[in-house]
Amino acid sequence: MTDSSPFRRRGRFGPARWAALSLAGALLLSACGGDDEGDSGSDGAAQPAASAGADLSTTIKILAPSYTDTSQADWQKVITGFNGKYPNVKVELQIEAWDGFTEKVQARIQGQDAPDILNDNNFADYANSDILYPIDEVMSPETLQSIEPALLKNGVGEDGTQWAAPDIASARLLAYNTDLFEQAGISAAPKTWDELLDAATKISKLGGGVYGYGMPLGQEEAQVEASLWVWGNGGDWVSGSDLTVASEQNVAAFEEMKKFIDAKATQPNPGASNRQAVADLFNQGKLGMYVSHPGLLAETRSKFPNVKFEVAPMPTKDGSASANLGVTDFIEAFDNGDEDRKAATKAFLDYLYTPEVYGPWAEGTGLLPVTSAAIQEKSASDTNNKPFYDVLSSVRFLPQGNPNWTALQNALQQNAGSIATQSAQEVLSGIEEQANAGG
Amino acid sequence: MATTTAPAPSTLGARPRRARRAPGHSSLFTALPWLAPALLLIFGVVLYPAGYMVYTSFRKFNRIGVERGGAGFDNYQQALDYPGVNIGRVFLNTFIWVAVVTVVSIVISLFLAQFLNKQFRGRKLVRLAVVVPWAASVVMTTSIFFYGLNPDYGIINRFLVDVGILDSPYGFTKSAVPAFITAMVVAIFVSLPFTTYTILSGLQGVPDDVVEAAYVDGASAWQRYTKVILPMLRPAISIATLIMIINVFNSLPILQILVEAPGYDADITTTLIFKYKTVLGPGVASALSVVNFLVVMTVIAVYLAVLRPTKDR
Repeated sequence: MTDSSPFRRRGRFGPARWAALSLAGALLLSACGGDDEGDSGSDGAAQPAASAGADLSTTIKILAPSYTDTSQADWQKVITGFNGKYPNVKVELQIEAWDGFTEKVQARIQGQDAPDILNDNNFADYANSDILYPIDEVMSPETLQSIEPALLKNGVGEDGTQWAAPDIASARLLAYNTDLFEQAGISAAPKTWDELLDAATKISKLGGGVYGYGMPLGQEEAQVEASLWVWGNGGDWVSGSDLTVASEQNVAAFEEMKKFIDAKATQPNPGASNRQAVADLFNQGKLGMYVSHPGLLAETRSKFPNVKFEVAPMPTKDGSASANLGVTDFIEAFDNGDEDRKAATKAFLDYLYTPEVYGPWAEGTGLLPVTSAAIQEKSASDTNNKPFYDVLSSVRFLPQGNPNWTALQNALQQNAGSIATQSAQEVLSGIEEQANAGG
Repeated sequence: MATTTAPAPSTLGARPRRARRAPGHSSLFTALPWLAPALLLIFGVVLYPAGYMVYTSFRKFNRIGVERGGAGFDNYQQALDYPGVNIGRVFLNTFIWVAVVTVVSIVISLFLAQFLNKQFRGRKLVRLAVVVPWAASVVMTTSIFFYGLNPDYGIINRFLVDVGILDSPYGFTKSAVPAFITAMVVAIFVSLPFTTYTILSGLQGVPDDVVEAAYVDGASAWQRYTKVILPMLRPAISIATLIMIINVFNSLPILQILVEAPGYDADITTTLIFKYKTVLGPGVASALSVVNFLVVMTVIAVYLAVLRPTKDR
């Protein structure tokens, strides 16, 4: 997911390591299969109390992205705890960088080696390919109920099935540099587009390589930035299962973005800027405002203490609509046609979401938790992220469950940046056409 | 050059009696143990993947690569007619990319090789320095250019501003045309060692007495170069050109790393294949790969037919 960008790491597992892992996995799998037949009968009878855990003897595989430096260790801690209860379930963990994560998942699926548990930022493609378990088959009702309902809804596919369960969440709010605001003589955070443009232009005029508004329309997450503007104008990408990309409101929203670019109120080359590049500018004190998230701001706080900033809602056209964007990442379970692995997956996921386990794990990601209990606890104790917790129940989500969304997201990432050189109508019609063709 | 290649079955000629007893089969059978490793390798890493690619291009896949039956020519149609992609521009880019990188690399190499062929102190060191870009990984070299050209912190941009060539840092990689030109410059830079050394080895094959004879006959330096040396370099230049065309045509990493621009205006077919792979799945990507393969085969066939580079004269 997009939220992870500050923590991008090159994959730590080269192909050789990966090949070795899968080979080891295959060997282990066959070995365990052999054991299984001998074990299950005698063991279960001898120790009825511990049977639930000790009986299960199989291998499950987890594929997860690297949120921070500690992601590997955080998962490993969960696995160690899990193995205390289920000693005969071997858990294979693969951590990959967000950069190119989708390709890694695709490669595993195409290699007939889909992970039992996947931590990712979309699920519609996999759900539509009939290769996922509905998540309620591999999570107990109690576990699902522990997740904040507004967030859980985000994992429902278009067919109404709960295909995925959120595991961490994040929201986007406007971060603004208070020193630059003061220098430019701006007293309050902008609420409307006109105020935003005014503030951004004033800050850009300060000169010295300082820019007003950071607009990342690069390939990493053009879909997020574009959504903020489209929603701010009361528009949307989809209506039911139809795409409404080139609707009147959306075109007007893109025209407004173009206005910012033409007025030089943004950083140069917005179409080629990723959020991290914009965040870097902000961290150097060279950017007035940009839309940020808890992970990035935590980095600013710890590594760039000289940058003084506040957080405000994303401005909208007339200040009335809400364009606060929320993102969740998901846990998904692939159907590998093996009942033992399914049972072990279920046991693992239920264990992962128990409060003592989930709390530290979620904290390790640097993002926001999704279980009601954890949100309640953290919103009281985590004052830095209070504004984000405050909006978490009212944020709008990208239509991740919509089967057209992935195609649309790809089209946005590739083409939204062209707004700097083409007309809004041209860009959006092209994106809609491409999304409709990309099946 | 061609005359030096020994006819393959010559070793069998030494055993006329066995060859007479069972001419075709036996000789093939005898040769098989020696040929097998090469044949296996060719089958395993060339023929099988190529065949599989063609097969894949006629199968329907969804984006994540789950197969959904036959596709006929749908993948080809989608590959060549995907909304938003100006396929004509992509092919034109591919042509410009191959032509410019190949021609400029060879021309610069002709100068460099001439220079490196002279006797001077420290020639070994200079020759070594020319090899270095070749020894370094293309991805690494390109990454260095990528960061160096960054307008916010790039050292190349900073240098250009400091010496007054630019007024303010310029986003070389941020929009299509400048990014494409930058990528060509990097491609030429990383290609120079190969072309220079191929031509240098050709130069060393030019006999001194021929050049001397031309000198005695009163040919000027320019005449000696164009009328004597250059024709004798023909085989070396032809080989360098042929390999460069294939290499540059299929080159992916430079453009993939350098180009940050949105849209498809800086794409060649190879980078487009990669974009298709993620967005449209392996079927469409394979279809474009097959087209790509046919195009490069055609280009090489035309090159061989028109220039006949393997003919000695």
